[in-house]
Amino acid sequence: MTKRSEGTSAKPSRADLAQRQQAFLQAIHDDRAPLPPGWGNRQAAGMAVYRGNYRSALMAALADLYERTALYVGEEAFRRASMHHIITQPPSGWTIDEAGAGFDKTCAQLFGDNPEVSELAWLEWTMRELASAPDTLAMAPADFAEAGAHFGDEEWANLRLALQPRAAARLVGHDCEKLWRALDTASSNAPDRSHARLASPQSCLVWREGERPTFVMVEADHTAAFHAVAGGANYAEMIGALLGDDPDPAPQLVEHAAMRAGAILGRWLQEGLIVGLNP
Amino acid sequence: MTTPRELIPPFGGFGLGLRRTHYDDFLSGHVAVDFVEVISENYMIEGGRQLRILEQVRASLPVIAHGVSMSIGSAGGLDRDHLARLKILEQRIDPLFVSDHLSWTRTSAHNSHDLLPMPLTRDALDVVCDNIDEAQNALGRAMLFENPSSYLTFPEDEMTEWEFLSQMGQRSGCYLLLDVNNIYVSSRNHGFCADDYLAGLPLDRVRQIHLAGHDPATPERDIIIDTHDRAVADPVWELYAKAVAMLPQPVATMIERDEDIPAIGVLLDELDHARNIAGGAGHKALEPA
Repeated sequence: MTKRSEGTSAKPSRADLAQRQQAFLQAIHDDRAPLPPGWGNRQAAGMAVYRGNYRSALMAALADLYERTALYVGEEAFRRASMHHIITQPPSGWTIDEAGAGFDKTCAQLFGDNPEVSELAWLEWTMRELASAPDTLAMAPADFAEAGAHFGDEEWANLRLALQPRAAARLVGHDCEKLWRALDTASSNAPDRSHARLASPQSCLVWREGERPTFVMVEADHTAAFHAVAGGANYAEMIGALLGDDPDPAPQLVEHAAMRAGAILGRWLQEGLIVGLNP
Repeated sequence: MTTPRELIPPFGGFGLGLRRTHYDDFLSGHVAVDFVEVISENYMIEGGRQLRILEQVRASLPVIAHGVSMSIGSAGGLDRDHLARLKILEQRIDPLFVSDHLSWTRTSAHNSHDLLPMPLTRDALDVVCDNIDEAQNALGRAMLFENPSSYLTFPEDEMTEWEFLSQMGQRSGCYLLLDVNNIYVSSRNHGFCADDYLAGLPLDRVRQIHLAGHDPATPERDIIIDTHDRAVADPVWELYAKAVAMLPQPVATMIERDEDIPAIGVLLDELDHARNIAGGAGHKALEPA
């Protein structure tokens, strides 16, 4: 048996293995990365297969996650955007779906003249995330009415709403409903972009009805209210969010904001976005 | 330190992967299989339709949770979040087996989402056994690990893959998921004898067999690629017949199809072929203990 002197082993230690694995993955990510010392043509040919598998698996995952975005921008543009995304943001999570995280931002960079592409990608990602969100039971409007019937001013001010997990809202400049419907079947052609543009931004509100992710276009102020509530704001703070940055709003503005908060709350209850009170 | 855990009794059924395309078929309850296998990571989620369907299918069939992201070969250790989510799934569906691959998929920074090859060294074996130990202890049960298909070997290799798998099973107490197609693919890619591979394994530790299709070599590419996108090839059926004839106990056999997935009937025909081969070797279906 050969005695190994300390620190001079030819065998890879655990730290060496970690280093080799990093180099292996680097060679998968980058065609130009040097192959490990001692590798010959056989290993280079094998590495080419792993490199191809990596790219095709991630490209397929993005195509599956962003079916409508792909249809909208066209096959070649989507392929280039996907490649750019996986090169600039190689995945780190254990689920391959995470490879699609942030693709809306990649689209915002690459399709700067067409912001609807990023909005569509955001919507597809959010819908996909909602599909596997925890199951919850929506609070019925009648149950809310019963609970709120005896609220005093202070209880209303301090009321916190529990929103459905992973429900989301964002301001969009294009009619996502129109885009979504037009891209509903693989046989459809890309819709006319000018027809989808909105005169002013609206909110796209995304949630799940039972097991089915869904969305609706609503007034722009839903987004500010939603983000406030999702961030833990109480009802008074939600009204404050609707007032914006004005440090000394006129009474009629406060009254309007309070009315809008009531209308928004009513809509969320009707749609089933609220799953509890004062969590 | 390995915690003593229950042995995995043999199960001699025939099954298919539960894939989205076939949800309605399985929910109808008319698919003649003894078990289904799911990709664990697809169900390591918090809620929604997919999980509900799995629970419905599980009500009438044993389910095998087959993972692709445990990365037991990672020198940096296991992903604790992955392991915790797998434990939740394990508790939710009480799977017949929990399995993954002899491979690595990630470093501490990035994930390849591919089953990357291990150098077959004693140090790599230490890493693999430590990681299997952690996984089995966390799950409180023994796992099955699948022999991978591979497209390169390492100059520093110190043993054959079957020697590596044998020592891995002996040291960690894990069982083997024998992918016959992978043996064929790797044997052709690396020039070893598939019969030697089978003969060198601790066959008493095999609890499941995978059968799948591959992309043959071409004039431009002399590497065979494991693709799961077509029917099982004849040489793989021949190797399967040899394997079941050598196994000392019945095993769960399944057809693995992940791309270009055909109608369920096509896969059931392939499964019948496996049944006939196994029946010829004296292995019949065996109910779980």
